Amino acid sequence: MLIYALNRVLTLVPTLLAASFLVFIFIHLIPGDPASILLGDTATPEEVAELSRELGLDEPLWTQYVLWLGNVLQGDLGTSVFFREPVLSVIADGAETSILLATMTMFWIVTFGVPIGIVSATRHGSWIDQATSGGAMLFASVPTFWLGLYLILIFSVGLGWFPSSGFPSLADEGGASNLRYLVLPSLTLAAPNAALIIRLIRASMLDVSREDHVRTARAKGLHPARVAIKHIFRNALIAVSAAFGFTFAALVSEAVVTETVFSLPGIGRLVVQSVLRRDYPVIQGVILIIVVFYMAINLLVDLAYASLDPRVSLK
Amino acid sequence: MNFKIWLRSAIALGAFTTLVGAAFAAGTLRYATVGEPPTLDQHVVTSDLSTTIAHHMFEGLYTFDASNSPVGLLATGEAVSDDGRTITITLREGVKFHNGQDMTSADVVASLNRWGEFGSRGGLLFANVESVTAAGDHAVTIRLAQPFGPWKNLLAFINGGPAIYPASVVEGAGKEPIAPDSYIGTGPYRFGEWEPNRHVELVRFEGYVSPDGEADGYGGARVAEFDTLQFIPVPDVGTRVAGLKAGDYDYAESIPGDLYADLDSDPSVVTILNGGPIFGLVFMNSKDGPLQENFGLRRAIQTALDKVPALHVAIGPEGLWRANGSFLPEGNVWFTDAGTEHYSMGDVNAARAMAEEAGYGGEPIKFMVSTNYPFHYDTAIVYTRQLAQAGFNIDLQVYDWATLIEKRAQPDQWDMFFTHHGFVPDPILISVMNDNYPGWWTTEEKNALKARFTESSDAAERQAIWTEIQALIYQQVPTMKTGDVYTYNIASPDLDGLGEATLIWPHFWNVSK
Repeated sequence: MLIYALNRVLTLVPTLLAASFLVFIFIHLIPGDPASILLGDTATPEEVAELSRELGLDEPLWTQYVLWLGNVLQGDLGTSVFFREPVLSVIADGAETSILLATMTMFWIVTFGVPIGIVSATRHGSWIDQATSGGAMLFASVPTFWLGLYLILIFSVGLGWFPSSGFPSLADEGGASNLRYLVLPSLTLAAPNAALIIRLIRASMLDVSREDHVRTARAKGLHPARVAIKHIFRNALIAVSAAFGFTFAALVSEAVVTETVFSLPGIGRLVVQSVLRRDYPVIQGVILIIVVFYMAINLLVDLAYASLDPRVSLK
Repeated sequence: MNFKIWLRSAIALGAFTTLVGAAFAAGTLRYATVGEPPTLDQHVVTSDLSTTIAHHMFEGLYTFDASNSPVGLLATGEAVSDDGRTITITLREGVKFHNGQDMTSADVVASLNRWGEFGSRGGLLFANVESVTAAGDHAVTIRLAQPFGPWKNLLAFINGGPAIYPASVVEGAGKEPIAPDSYIGTGPYRFGEWEPNRHVELVRFEGYVSPDGEADGYGGARVAEFDTLQFIPVPDVGTRVAGLKAGDYDYAESIPGDLYADLDSDPSVVTILNGGPIFGLVFMNSKDGPLQENFGLRRAIQTALDKVPALHVAIGPEGLWRANGSFLPEGNVWFTDAGTEHYSMGDVNAARAMAEEAGYGGEPIKFMVSTNYPFHYDTAIVYTRQLAQAGFNIDLQVYDWATLIEKRAQPDQWDMFFTHHGFVPDPILISVMNDNYPGWWTTEEKNALKARFTESSDAAERQAIWTEIQALIYQQVPTMKTGDVYTYNIASPDLDGLGEATLIWPHFWNVSK
């Protein structure tokens, strides 16, 4: 298992190189440059050229890439053109929000999605199944910005239970109680994702329930609940665990719309704004880290397969 | 059993959040902004958002009173020599910087020199400045090559203007914006912290020395009532409005026209118009392409446009826009109707005939617009339709703002582009007067008028010359004004001292809750 994990980590290296190269090339191919955005409307072409030189943007693209890569290998992702802070600290700020948000969202998905999925599979065809499947379709189709704004209107403006937007760091005043800022956004994100998980659990459990070992278990006279959980759900989990992994990764990196509606300082919004500002070091740094993150999740999912399904061997 | 634990924790969490929520933000003003400013260094940036934050920290020698006339801020007065070429400004004594140092003429000289060399608007004045020197500890002397009328307005305009920093900060600072840890000014608030995507926080400066006199516009006494000001980026407008209603923000900027009627009649919200209107501008290319020096063709385009439907579509309620052809608004000393009969004619047939006479044969005219500002795009769509009706072949090119800025610097990439302009106190600051601004309007007639305009120090004479320049703009059409747009902000009714409209940017000294 250890050797398997080490092997997998080593194969990450060429993938990372390829990803970093593609990101670097694409980002520099878009027109627009950070110097003219920073200097604003009244800057003369000479001033823009001068700042470009100071930022090292006048070097040939190859040189810029090699320099950047060299720094990355030494753990230095560069300095944000816009914030004038090390890229790593800008990303760390965003990562706190994104990871907490994704974790809280996963919590709702597991708390609501898993039991509802199991019930809807064991009672398939019944009115409960119809109602949960219908509800799941509804939530999967509702746009998140709409749902988010309605949650704000009801729970912030109307009832005043939760703050409407923003997220002070847990290290700031308020400490762990600042998590209340994430309740509405995480519910907004959980709705469509839980709906998908419900559908997935239901479908996988129905597949498994038609298999021979389930018929055998039932024929032995086991309690239906025990059959559902131990023999059906556990086997269905293999397909679902991959979905959990990638949902989590996507929640960390792609929650742009929800982060915008709730003005959360997360990773998704950071990428989009950095693209608009052409803040090359931040874009490159964030994407690199997201790629590493996806790969780590991928690895964890594979390891989870092995522990869930003894037939999968890691060699 | 598990369910009971769940229920209890949920109730406890609910009670806890309500408690914490009630004790929220005393002594703090929370301002929801549309985004993050590029920098707060006022010398080098012309972003209005930057000034909205920074003018609580940094002060200039002069500022504007409620009628937009310059009044002393760090200066107490000035003497101008008879030939108009030597200006001696006396400084207020006892003013402290946020680092505890006294402000002296050395700081003023260093700040003015850096602004003159590297500042966004500094070149306008300093093209004509021979020297800036200290005349004792609390006076500076500016020597001009030629008399220069707009000097005081330029010194008073803090946006892209000469904020006074300590000499130790500006000496050797160069063109690059000053870093946040060196944000040291003389204003009623000092820099606290800047957390990317979270907030910029300013803290009351206990050592502040206010100018005397009753508060008038940005002039007169300034009192910092709040402990802290927080400027929080809230990019989604729905969230800015909902957050203000929920009490999470005290003030929210840049609210769209569609919501005006509802918000204006809502007792839980106060709407505040921004006094200085912004205006859309469609620049024409004087360096390249079919519009280069073809004034007849430009006038044909100008004649085809009816600006009113576009304002309806792009802005909305009539209280928020004015179909005004004068570059500065009615009531302002620079208001003039010279040339404005050509402002919004909407005469398709006349335009078609004029275009034919100017030799237009249906070549594509590249019109660049950005979707970053919805009103740019909406207006451009209406104009494109109107121009098509008059027989123009408009190639509408839609970009993000960063791309548009890069492309407009290349004369062969465009024929017209859309931008907007903030309110300025002196027409010399309007971008079309700048020879280097994309569009590059530098005809002989303009140059001659511009020279007279800047040399004169006589207010009435300068106004008369501006009338001639505006008439020339409608003749040579280097740019077309789309109309005045009054943006508005919303505030909590608990705030005292805001007034009905802002002068240019909102300010929160003399404001409390």
